[in-house]
Amino acid sequence: MDFTLTTDQSALMSALDRLAKPFEFKPIDFHGFALAGDGLERELDDGGYFDIAQVPELGSLTAAMAVERLAWLPCTVDTALSMLVRPQLPGEWPRPIAVVENGRPGRFVATAKTLILIDGDQVSLARVTPGDVEPAESLFAYPMGRLKRRPAATVLSAEDAASVRTWLRVALAAEATGLLQAAIASAGEHLSVRKQFGRPLGSFQALRHRMAECTVLAGGVRWLALKAAATGDPADAALAALHAQESATRIAYDLHQMLGAMGMTLEHPLHLWTYRLKALVSELGGRGGQALAVARHAFGH
Amino acid sequence: MDFQWDAEQQSFRDTVRAFLAANLPADWEAQAHGPGSESQSAFSKKFCGALAEAGLLVPHWPQRWGGRDADAWTAFILAEEMWAAGEPRGGQYMNVNWIGPVLMRFGSEAQQARYIPPIARGETLWCQGFSEPEAGSDLASLRTRAEKDGGFYRISGQKIWTSYAGHADTCFLLARTAPGKTGMSVFLVPMDTPGITVRQIPSVIGEGDIHEVFFDDVRVPESALLGAEGQAWEIARAALSLERVGIPRFALASRMLRRAVERLRREGRYGHGAVEQSARAHAACEAARLYSYQIVDQRRHGTPTGPEASAARYATVMCERLVGEFVVEHLPEALSGGDPLLLAHHQRAIVAGIASGAAEIQLNLIATELLQLPREPR
Repeated sequence: MDFTLTTDQSALMSALDRLAKPFEFKPIDFHGFALAGDGLERELDDGGYFDIAQVPELGSLTAAMAVERLAWLPCTVDTALSMLVRPQLPGEWPRPIAVVENGRPGRFVATAKTLILIDGDQVSLARVTPGDVEPAESLFAYPMGRLKRRPAATVLSAEDAASVRTWLRVALAAEATGLLQAAIASAGEHLSVRKQFGRPLGSFQALRHRMAECTVLAGGVRWLALKAAATGDPADAALAALHAQESATRIAYDLHQMLGAMGMTLEHPLHLWTYRLKALVSELGGRGGQALAVARHAFGH
Repeated sequence: MDFQWDAEQQSFRDTVRAFLAANLPADWEAQAHGPGSESQSAFSKKFCGALAEAGLLVPHWPQRWGGRDADAWTAFILAEEMWAAGEPRGGQYMNVNWIGPVLMRFGSEAQQARYIPPIARGETLWCQGFSEPEAGSDLASLRTRAEKDGGFYRISGQKIWTSYAGHADTCFLLARTAPGKTGMSVFLVPMDTPGITVRQIPSVIGEGDIHEVFFDDVRVPESALLGAEGQAWEIARAALSLERVGIPRFALASRMLRRAVERLRREGRYGHGAVEQSARAHAACEAARLYSYQIVDQRRHGTPTGPEASAARYATVMCERLVGEFVVEHLPEALSGGDPLLLAHHQRAIVAGIASGAAEIQLNLIATELLQLPREPR
């Protein structure tokens, strides 16, 4: 048990910090629902970052840290599925990757080259051909898309399907970790400068305690996500995803309360994190689905 | 970063578990009647003596004081296994966690020679004289006075909510030697000193656990002063930083959650609502566990623990709450004679957010030090 970063992990995180720097702020004239990080995606691709889980010195744990770090940014790229799930798929599948769950619109579906199709208990993989998918307008802060027609798909064995579900949970928790932290930081900044009743909002204990509780929850999500990425254990993954969805549900609500009307605007970036969190909350059966997975894997139910 | 136990850590855990299997009767909690009771205090002295003989009471202490200089992980693995077993060390957990280490840091040679060896042998019980009727979370407003009188101090005042006071040999007492926060001092006071009266407070948390302690012109030699006059705040901070993540409550909460779920499943009562609630509680327990490990890792590397320790404590309080609520809702008979172990845990968990300072104080620290939010005006 050692929570210190290895030299390789530190070096990679420093490199990611440098790479992320130009993408740190929402462009001032951007007033949309989802900010696609095309420039960031090119840089990550050029630097080979999508393959870091396969580097023996780095592995899935470091990939999860990278996903967390990149989710801090207001723009979005499919990092989680590409970095954490793709290495676990049977065979070679090109990125970007997206999930279509029971036919619903999903994140990055319109730009994906590989689709993970979840239909009840069945999990399939498909390569996307032109005309299979189309963009979908959405309030969620991811570029959303939907199937226009169902592509030819390979149905996975029960064992492979279980593995894919485990790593989807790890990916969800890792991404939620960064989103939660960035959203809390954004709201904290607002509370430090916005004054009411003659003093900063952040000096009112009612809000301070609520923010502190959000912080504790978010920190817990981070540790559970990192552990699940390190072990790949289905029970760890289910716990991480459940805690992520539970925490995201509460924190997204609380942070919008902190911002008042400012949080309703597209000018303020808060929704770029909270409406990604809300998308994640809906996935893989939501909190009820994760709770069943926890009961199955941790309590043998 | 590595989430696996290394061979040495796993081997130490196995050793502790083997000791518990050989020395701790399975039903000991049902017989002991509460953490501060006479029966448990007596049981703990015998048990801690056996732990000491096996080299498992203070392995993390320096060799000079009976330890083997083991690292912070060893201390925490030991604490996890003890707490998961219901904490058979009773009030002596405080001795090894912080009273001994604080005496090593701040005590005179005579104080160390007098008080540390009995702790290392597992034969003494301490109580913590901090809270007062008018000084709980606001510890700096304490009123108990210690006035210099030649080579002595005369102590008068009242402490309250004092755990283990009924059977303690010594009190780690905070008293005022001058006005203000810098006027607080620590005294090591034998509990059989004339002028001390202990009155048990009947409570929902178990027999003999909390007390009022009255100091009526109690005369102690100046050698009872720990450190210097006015050093109490520094000493108390050192003590509380060890105490805050010193109790792995998640370990017992997690064990009791599993116990409750197993029974509900066996009896066909583990329905949808119970599944969801138990899963949430389990996630909270594991989050608290990893949070605490982060602090232990900081200690192992000699990094000063910061506000993350407050977050770890709060996460632990939350997991205790969720497990407690789960049992009350789905196995209420546990509180009515149906399961003495779940009852004992429930009673211990009541204090999780109160003992060693209200958890809301941790939220203040997190808001100020982690989130850097503006302070509340005073």
